[in-house]
Amino acid sequence: MFEKKKIITSTGVEVRKKPLGLRIWTNRGYYVMFLPVAIFVLILNYWPLLGVRFAFYNYKPVGEPVFNGFENFTKLFATDAFWVAFKNTLELSIMKLLITTATAVIVSIFLNEMGNLLAKKALQTIIYLPHFMSWAVVAAVASLFLSPSVTGMVNGMLRDWGILGEADKNIYFLANKDMWRPIFYIINIWKETGWGTIIFLATLSGINPELYEAADIDGATRFQKMRFITMPALANTILTVLILNLAKVLNMFESVFVLYNNAVFEVADVISTYIYRQTFAVALPNYGYSTAVGLFRSLVGCLLFVICNWLSKKVRGRGIV
Amino acid sequence: MKKKVLSVLLASAMVMSMAACGSKEEAPAANNNESSAAAPAASSEAAPAASSEAAPAEYQLTEPIKVVVNGTVNYVKEDSGKEEFIAALNEAVSEYMGYDVTFDFTQLDHSGYVDAVGRLFAGGDYPDVMVMSADMFKQYAPTGLLWDMSEAYDNAEFHARMTLPAINENLKDENGALYGFASGYGNGCITYVKQSWLDAVGMKAEDIKTYDDFYNMLTAFTTGDPDGNGVDGDTYGFISAGLLGNEAPFINYTSAFWQDSYPAILQGEDGVWYDGFQTDATKQALLRLQKAYADGVIDPESYTFGTKAAREKYWSADQTGSAGVFEYWAGSWTENIYNNLEKNGVITDLVSLPPIAEVGAYLNREAPVWVIIDDGDGDNARENAIFKAFCESMLDGDKIQTLWTYGVEDVHWSLKAESITSGSGEKEKTVEYKEGEFHFRNTFADPTQLFKKNNIDNALVVSPLTNGYSDSSDMVDAANKFFTENCVDAPVSPASETLTNESGNIHDAKMAAISAVVIEGGDVDAAMETYVNTVGATVEQILSELNG
Repeated sequence: MFEKKKIITSTGVEVRKKPLGLRIWTNRGYYVMFLPVAIFVLILNYWPLLGVRFAFYNYKPVGEPVFNGFENFTKLFATDAFWVAFKNTLELSIMKLLITTATAVIVSIFLNEMGNLLAKKALQTIIYLPHFMSWAVVAAVASLFLSPSVTGMVNGMLRDWGILGEADKNIYFLANKDMWRPIFYIINIWKETGWGTIIFLATLSGINPELYEAADIDGATRFQKMRFITMPALANTILTVLILNLAKVLNMFESVFVLYNNAVFEVADVISTYIYRQTFAVALPNYGYSTAVGLFRSLVGCLLFVICNWLSKKVRGRGIV
Repeated sequence: MKKKVLSVLLASAMVMSMAACGSKEEAPAANNNESSAAAPAASSEAAPAASSEAAPAEYQLTEPIKVVVNGTVNYVKEDSGKEEFIAALNEAVSEYMGYDVTFDFTQLDHSGYVDAVGRLFAGGDYPDVMVMSADMFKQYAPTGLLWDMSEAYDNAEFHARMTLPAINENLKDENGALYGFASGYGNGCITYVKQSWLDAVGMKAEDIKTYDDFYNMLTAFTTGDPDGNGVDGDTYGFISAGLLGNEAPFINYTSAFWQDSYPAILQGEDGVWYDGFQTDATKQALLRLQKAYADGVIDPESYTFGTKAAREKYWSADQTGSAGVFEYWAGSWTENIYNNLEKNGVITDLVSLPPIAEVGAYLNREAPVWVIIDDGDGDNARENAIFKAFCESMLDGDKIQTLWTYGVEDVHWSLKAESITSGSGEKEKTVEYKEGEFHFRNTFADPTQLFKKNNIDNALVVSPLTNGYSDSSDMVDAANKFFTENCVDAPVSPASETLTNESGNIHDAKMAAISAVVIEGGDVDAAMETYVNTVGATVEQILSELNG
């Protein structure tokens, strides 16, 4: 019924495929080397997937799980808080992705333009460092700086500069719905821009210097060289970074968890923090419901991944898998 | 060939690493098998033998008793004589039981205890005994997870010596089942005021009788210079660990503002349950909080503060940005707050303010309880043995109760003739104790401080010590007396399936309303409407379950 596809070399010689067993035996070294990896992946990545079935159960810490069909999903889709979290996840993730990528590109270009190598290296190191700080530490520092108390540094500065008057109250940045997202993006820029520049600096260092030399001869200004040589060279990398990261946008948790509070749930609660609260902030959680939320998130994540793969094929000529 | 050899070596290395990781990962599982899964199995195997060859009371516990606690058991914390306490407890309980008994304590994060227990149970790791808040207990009691200890409790040795039997009698359900055992009454929060701040603004504690007096005091602390640093307006009147707690009695850190409101589901005098959040009293409370926030008399971070952050700011060495009034636990915490102020060089007495007229009385929370996890094998022998080894022995009136109350002799306390120095700077004092005189020793973490209590508060316990050992702290005794003279029992927590499932969402909705009114200065009716739109139907469902 199915004909085997013949493999023909460029010289017209038909290649006969060896039997699978023989091929495995021939490459047994590689298969032996791959075996532990396969076992790792099966145990750590696929075995836990069996827990997905609990999305269809009423499963509490006490007693046996009881199958309840799509009840958890019905509740999920009828819960406003979930949709708020879903919307926030997409908005926060995509905005964060765009902003941090744009900042990383700009900083990379500026770093690339720096003539003093020592200053360039020092600056690079300084902006990389925040990436290695844990989110808990970053949140603690941010809370101190942004404290609405009389000891809060930022409020003190605003008062010293006259931006806050005598009659004005200190601003509670992290409990203010209008301010929380900008603060969140700024903290993310501060923490992740340095790390994000690595890939762009690598691309910039790969641009043929002859292009710049030719531009110099043609009398191009520094801005024109940036506009007509550097940016086009970076464009493909920028798109690649954006597409690769787009598939991960639903994975946001830690950065939000350490910075949000009840006052800003409306703009800050994301799916992961919603799952966390449903699972661990109540005495008798229904793990089935949490699993249903998680499963829904995974399905949306898969969809995004497929879209990204398609976009990647369009833009780069190859997929991301 | 070299490549093949290399690949085999690499593969072997990976397999070895996986084996190493595997053994690491398997350790807790192995423990689980031994201690929780296998323990019931062992008991179920042993139980028939026990019942056929010996009386159930003679069941012997062969595995360590797994105990999960929060931060209320002080001497299982690191650097607090943990090893000595557990060793002494093992020895004393073994003597009490007549065979070797050991305890395996797990102390979970105090402020995140509910979360941590959830994670523990999610991993299928059930202890034998654990402590639960009243709120948590109410939700777990109907589930079948907890063992009915009513018979064991009624037959316990300490029963005849109990001075507060009503505490545990009230915990029994309508069928007489007792799923949790309280070793003491609940205790509650009182209002602390820094005396030096009162002096600095020319006020007297005895004049603070009404909310207006109270508010004037907060305003004076906020606008004046009570810390004496020469700057007006760099302090706050009031600081709290949140504006609404997430466990009963919810309002105990901010009772002066909530007053007659109890923003939770509670039972009226007619026996009908209703939502205290949807009342005019709550709206008035929110408006009081709104004004206090707008006037800046409450430290704005009170909304997001946990207990640790609020405490530390209250007693911080730099009093700039601190507050003069703090509602916190009575009893040993009175001394604790005083000592920390002193340690940080904040020279002040601490006034315990009687409840203002509008508050009437402080709330005595429902007591936290010890629960025993039912292994579900249908045989009570093992659970009875755990009750005797843990709960009954805890109130033996002598050796074991002393361990739970004061800790280990010559580690945490002593009867030896010796001099003990505590405090620092001007407040340093040395006391000479005679032979046989009970006294605490210095803590390991801070030699200027003395140990206080382990878990049981001798002033709150349902069955007192019979050996006469007593904490000599007048301050703690006075604080306990002050609280008991000024408290009423907190409203009883409800138990309903929907409440169990939705308590987190309801709390979120309440906090959203509080935030909208207090932090954003919004309209209280609009906030209430949002609350009703968000969780009103759920609350109605809970009320119908409770009143049905």
